[in-house]
Amino acid sequence: MANRSLQLTLNGNAAEPVDIPDDLLMIDYLHEYKNLTGSRLGCGQGICHACVVIVDNPDGTSEEVRTCITGAHYFAGKRVRTIEGHATRDDEGKVTQLNPIQQRFVDEFAFQCSYCAPGFVNAATVLVEKLQRQPVAKSQLEKVVEDSLGHHICRCTGYVRYFSATRNVLTELGLVREG
Amino acid sequence: MSNRDMSRRSFLQGSVVAGVTVTLIPLSNQAFAALKEESVTMPSEQWLGTNGKARSRNDALSKVCGGKVFARDIRAKDMPGWPEQQGHAMLLKITKADHIYAGMDLSWLGAELQPDRIVTAEDLANDGIAFPQDHGPDPLLPVGQVPMFIGHPVAILIWNDFECFRQAKAKLKFNDKAIRYGAKAELYQTDPYGSFRYVRVGGATSADEDEFASLKDSILFPMLRNRRPVWDSQPDLHGDLTERGLYYAGRIKQQIDAPPDNWLVFDERYKTPSIEPAALEPDNGNGWYDTVSKTLHFVVATQCPLEAATETAKMIAPSRFALNNLKIHPGYTVGYGSKDHNIFVYYAALAALYGAGVPVRLANDRYEQFQSGIKRHPFDIRYQLAVDKTDYSFKIFRAEMSVDGGGRANYSSSVAAVGATAAQSIYYMPQNDLQVTAYHSRGVEAGSMRGYGTLQSMASTEMMVDEIADRLGIDAIVLRKKNAMVSGTKNTQGAIPAGALRLHEILDKAAVHEVWKNRHALKQQREAQDPYHWHGVGFAICQKDFGTGSEAPMASVEFTADGHISLRHIGIEIGTGMSTSQALVVADFLGSPASEVTTGETQWDELQLTTGGNPYTMSQAEQNNFLLDPRWVGKLASASSASNSAYYFSHATREAARVLFNHGLWPAALHIWSQGPYGGQANPYVVRREDANWVDGQLTANGMQPLSFAQLAKHAHDLGLITGATVHGFNRWSWAESEFEIGKTRVRLPLDGLAVKYGDGAASEKQAQMNSAGFHLLDRKTVHYPDVQLNNAAVTYYSPVATLVEVKVNKGTGEVQVLNHHSWIECGRVLVEELVKGQLEGGVAMGIGHALMEEMPLYEGGPGEGDWNFNRYRLPMARHVAVWKQTSEILPPLSRSDPAKGIAEVVMIPVVGAIGNAVAHAIGKRVRDLPLTSTRIKEALNG
Repeated sequence: MANRSLQLTLNGNAAEPVDIPDDLLMIDYLHEYKNLTGSRLGCGQGICHACVVIVDNPDGTSEEVRTCITGAHYFAGKRVRTIEGHATRDDEGKVTQLNPIQQRFVDEFAFQCSYCAPGFVNAATVLVEKLQRQPVAKSQLEKVVEDSLGHHICRCTGYVRYFSATRNVLTELGLVREG
Repeated sequence: MSNRDMSRRSFLQGSVVAGVTVTLIPLSNQAFAALKEESVTMPSEQWLGTNGKARSRNDALSKVCGGKVFARDIRAKDMPGWPEQQGHAMLLKITKADHIYAGMDLSWLGAELQPDRIVTAEDLANDGIAFPQDHGPDPLLPVGQVPMFIGHPVAILIWNDFECFRQAKAKLKFNDKAIRYGAKAELYQTDPYGSFRYVRVGGATSADEDEFASLKDSILFPMLRNRRPVWDSQPDLHGDLTERGLYYAGRIKQQIDAPPDNWLVFDERYKTPSIEPAALEPDNGNGWYDTVSKTLHFVVATQCPLEAATETAKMIAPSRFALNNLKIHPGYTVGYGSKDHNIFVYYAALAALYGAGVPVRLANDRYEQFQSGIKRHPFDIRYQLAVDKTDYSFKIFRAEMSVDGGGRANYSSSVAAVGATAAQSIYYMPQNDLQVTAYHSRGVEAGSMRGYGTLQSMASTEMMVDEIADRLGIDAIVLRKKNAMVSGTKNTQGAIPAGALRLHEILDKAAVHEVWKNRHALKQQREAQDPYHWHGVGFAICQKDFGTGSEAPMASVEFTADGHISLRHIGIEIGTGMSTSQALVVADFLGSPASEVTTGETQWDELQLTTGGNPYTMSQAEQNNFLLDPRWVGKLASASSASNSAYYFSHATREAARVLFNHGLWPAALHIWSQGPYGGQANPYVVRREDANWVDGQLTANGMQPLSFAQLAKHAHDLGLITGATVHGFNRWSWAESEFEIGKTRVRLPLDGLAVKYGDGAASEKQAQMNSAGFHLLDRKTVHYPDVQLNNAAVTYYSPVATLVEVKVNKGTGEVQVLNHHSWIECGRVLVEELVKGQLEGGVAMGIGHALMEEMPLYEGGPGEGDWNFNRYRLPMARHVAVWKQTSEILPPLSRSDPAKGIAEVVMIPVVGAIGNAVAHAIGKRVRDLPLTSTRIKEALNG
């Protein structure tokens, strides 16, 4: 298998270039080459979405991408955020502030085992960023949450707290308009 | 018997197993040191609200930041002292169960991708590996034999680096080329895993003496012949226990076969599917065998770390590897039972052992998890229930259950027994004959999965009762109320459930719920509005046991002179929030929760415990003899399973904290309050311990000056009072009790092991007594163990849940959609409301999956062939569970002294029956085989 060098930006920092096989999946790159194991392997088929990361596009938009079915080289030159990159940390690496979605998930006991939590955090974070550009009408609030999180699988929680926490944080952040 | 290890015998003396020193180190203390994080859990000031309630889970921060929480997240480079090189392994499996295994051929992988090591059955035999008998025989199939099941492993393949592993595995996946098949052969056969019969003939009322019952007399055990249970004994009223039991069973059958005119006899069959637990963390382990020090370092995902450690040590001890030390690191995990008593642990340990000094990781992908992960047992049930048509009372309940345990013995035997003893659901049955047998098959191994047989039996019972109400033409909740147990009535084994039964409270609430009251009008109204769907409402209720009949929780609580409280606990965090709730339980007696929690702790040298015999099957004489040893306990430690954290784990935590209060904080407080002339401020008043109260974190009693915990902790230390307590408890549907001498006081406690620590100011003779791993080990002065006969009770602890569901059924496709649901739950004292509701919400979702969508072929075409994943196995998504509309109600406890009851399993059961009943209400036909797929619904409509 041919190797190629991969360069990308991971959680705001330029990742050290590394020669990796053409067919290496992004999740394996994160786990085995970068020791970032928070993006979790659930199915390997792109169904459960436990493995998603956020790609920040040049136009200022962001999107979820499934790393268990996407080659690492797809991310060449891209800006990628993983679950490990959301919180603000001090010099010792201790968390000093969570992003609003993380905080609300914590406050509402949204997850149990948490294996799927990184995927839900990323999906909801992408939603927040989308609505920051274009707030959602109140009448569409629940639907937009369903559309954004509804493809993620959780086996522990029954989804209730992930959904309500996301709905609540969108309202708190002023991303819901009348209508 | 509600017994999780009926055939197991385990022993462990101190921390030396079969000559191997075993050390269990919580992952958090090791891996996270390397990752600059101190622990998975936060100190209490970060998660505790000012009201004394949890603001969040104490593991929330690590989990929401994608920290290395799971064993699966750990790589060699994360572990201090390990080599950085990370090897990887996989299990090679044979997928045709009707052919002889003739060996393997990996030559087609090419030279570059050949495994660095291949471990076969021959290697295990030559190297003296003593694989755990409970998971045998043939962990790796020897050449020349027919597989026991589809997916039987034949070899462990190990690569020293990830790239070779990855590329080789990609070629081996979905590819039978590596297996050489020999001649076609008869399928492997073996005897049933277990067979039981529970017969009870009650007296005129429940309060009257039973004529025959499992508790009073005996469970009945058949002979096994030609792979089937047979009854050689002849019924005889005056014979031995089996003959008497068969006499009564025969009498029951005669009555139900020739019922009086006023009886309705219901007689139908129910079938339930094989279910994939689908714990999102697949099975995994990562180990390094240090060939120099002969130490196996082992990170593993398990719900039973002590069992994993004990059996791993025993497995390797006699081998050529000359193991000296086993250092095992259990991670936080998730399993819904599937990581309890799991063979995968030992494959992972072997992979590490054969790593030749390279750490080796064995971690299933999802296909492999489907292929070999433990499944929920499918049940085939015949129920007969005789009902008096005049007063609607249940008369006789008969059950014949067949349980498919898959290809390797796991907990099938006890799952079958627990399923049978739960079959009554919430109803008093004056007479019952419940027969159940768990069989071997060529399917994937089934074992402990959430529900443990009770989901299968109780959901069926609830559908049966609803159908009987239809046949009788009465309201289904009225019929339930007529027959629901009340406090003090006997179960089908003749045992009386613990405490108050509040089933009628729940039924009363359900009966007046708007959706239930108006269900027929709602149906008409909705169907008029939506001509493309049928609408239905269904209700079900059940009560499920928590615990196993052999629970052994351990906990240790200590406080320092500066008021820092730490808790060590045997329990492992499996997502339920036990690390949070146990930290809070400490506050009952110490006024503040534990600020530091260590879960999965199994280093309890201070208690010097020994165990032996099988707590489920030993005779009374055997138990009495064991109890002559003051260190013997009926079981060393519980797994995290069987909904056991809220009640059993809390018991140990509370008792440890209670010892600290009674013998540390309270005397310290009295000492402070009594300072000064004539006994100080305490003298004018009468001060009693039973009046002690923690108010805003300060202790007061009978008007005494409030004292902070920090103040008391320091004073207790200065006085050399008790500042640490490690406890062990044993429960066989009742707690073992012992008398201990604490200071000059003899106390009787619901414990069978106790060690204490004295404060910093303790006199030298007290300091000298702390010679058992830093504790003073107290001898039991007397001990009273629950009688072994209580094993036949099978269950005495219950939690009830009821669920009301609205569904619609597409007239064209037959597809069912859950529109809404409401549940009632009674769990005694609520430790953390959000955690209870979270369990309920998650359980209901899992129940919806069981009822409507989850199933797999058992054998050929099923998951054993290695090509199943979430594309073929439908899990409930948010859109399936009425995510915005569902509601629930937790019944308030009777008083503050109610025990907290286990609810992790019961929450998912009533929704299954309720959906079945709602679909019947919608379509006017009964579908008794689960899941209720569109195909089955259309068959029912057309049949």
